[in-house]
Amino acid sequence: MTVAPAPATVRKLDMTRVIKTFPARRRQNPVVAVGPVDLHVDAGELVCIVGTSGCGKSTLLNIAGGLDHATLGGVSVDGEPVIGPGPDRGMVFQGYSLYPWKTVAENVAFGLECQAVTRARRAERVRELLAIMDLTAFADRLPKELSGGMRQRVAIARALAPEPDILLLDEPFGALDAQTKLAMQEFLLLVWQRTAATILMVTHDVEEALFLSQRVYVMHGRPGRVVEVVDVPFGRSRSTIVKRSPKFLDLRDEIQELFRQPTS
Amino acid sequence: MVAELTSFTGADEAVAAVAAVVPPRRPARVKPAGRGRRQAPVLRLRAELPLPWRVGLAGAGMAGVLAVWLWASARSSGAVVVPSPADTWKAVATAWSSGQLRSDFSASMGRIGIGYAVSMAVGLVVGLLMGSLTSVESAVEAPIAFLRYIPATALTPLLLLWLGIGESPKVTLIVLGTVFFNILMVADVVRAVPQELIKVSYTLGAGRVTVLRKVILPHSLPGVIDVARINLAAGWLMLVVAELLAARQGLAYRIVQAQRFHQVDVMFAMLIVFGVIGVASDLALRWLRNAVAPWARP
Repeated sequence: MTVAPAPATVRKLDMTRVIKTFPARRRQNPVVAVGPVDLHVDAGELVCIVGTSGCGKSTLLNIAGGLDHATLGGVSVDGEPVIGPGPDRGMVFQGYSLYPWKTVAENVAFGLECQAVTRARRAERVRELLAIMDLTAFADRLPKELSGGMRQRVAIARALAPEPDILLLDEPFGALDAQTKLAMQEFLLLVWQRTAATILMVTHDVEEALFLSQRVYVMHGRPGRVVEVVDVPFGRSRSTIVKRSPKFLDLRDEIQELFRQPTS
Repeated sequence: MVAELTSFTGADEAVAAVAAVVPPRRPARVKPAGRGRRQAPVLRLRAELPLPWRVGLAGAGMAGVLAVWLWASARSSGAVVVPSPADTWKAVATAWSSGQLRSDFSASMGRIGIGYAVSMAVGLVVGLLMGSLTSVESAVEAPIAFLRYIPATALTPLLLLWLGIGESPKVTLIVLGTVFFNILMVADVVRAVPQELIKVSYTLGAGRVTVLRKVILPHSLPGVIDVARINLAAGWLMLVVAELLAARQGLAYRIVQAQRFHQVDVMFAMLIVFGVIGVASDLALRWLRNAVAPWARP
């Protein structure tokens, strides 16, 4: 784990002309839910997909994770096609999805167990991640004893443990209160910088997307399509002050205006 | 007329006179000052009850049962003989000291122990597969739905015919009378495992067998123990039916024997033993559930 970001030209996730349809009901054509969508994430990037609920952004993330399949189009990670879920694409969901019977440390270790990592190496990696996530003091607690923000930190640590090529986050802070959400956003930026992870995140919160990411895919409509790709001009390390800059507010208004457009 | 009356006595007096003759329909309830409705703590819907109230009401409930029993035994006469609690207790003590209770108890426990263990094992394996794999569900659901509605007790003559009068028909009856409920209820418990938990496990590198063993099974464990606890009552029912028909030992057999000799106190004693075993097993399984799955404790 190095602090230096990987060269930005290495393509990690590549989704080309991805279409998802739902099977036809009686005497009707198949319903196109998503697409066609083109999307890519380079190594070390933090990219957000922002969209209103029902626009298919989570479906797109699930397709990248291999939990759902594209009807048409190509999805690849490091040039290899995605055919199913795997530990190279760690996922975090809004509902935390922690194993309630496992302690924090055991939750984080699960992915390493599946990889048959030796016990000593596992313990070391868990210790390392808990330190990054500021959870060392809670290693032996059960998830139900933790707050929402802490649970989500455990989920992120668990997804990072098998050293994934890309981290897929599905509205990870959607269930948190405003204050915790803000703290978690800053925390995610910190973790991203410390671990040089590649992250694709889905959110419905425009400010969150702009604050965190280097590029924002704006999805809208039914079928959900990318209506605009916004390059975010702020640096890798940023503080909440960014949120008050005119550029930030302009971009925010611009994206929100897109959501106002009627969908055809 | 009214005008006349008014002019004669004055309005206030007229009202007072009417009020004296016609009582108010209902005493006006005094509305307490303030907004909203106050609720008595004991009669709140789905609310926590203070511990003293809980213990007190539980005691009162048991006392009520005891009171009905005492009242019935005091009135017992003729054909309807109801032994007193004291007589029943004496019968329990006698059965215990003679060693008969112990042998009956172990005979019955052996049957239900083996039968219910087999039933739970089958229920766990089939239920786990049925709840996790829709293909298994499709194959198994229809036959189970059919078999479940055949009353197991109706199979008793058939079992006696096929398996004789030894232990095997009794154990089989216990299995048949509970296994379908166990399968279906275990499958329901398994279906309650959140989809996201399974999905996230795949993205952590777990295969399907690992997910079954390390995610679905541990998540279902407390629910499975609850299923075992709830369906155990059906197991006892089957045991009693089996022992009533053909047995040489056992708690229910002892009741049939007692009937022959008009030993109503012995019959009551056995009923009490059944009740105590039931409560004890219920508490034991609750304890087990909380011991193996402290995370699921409410």
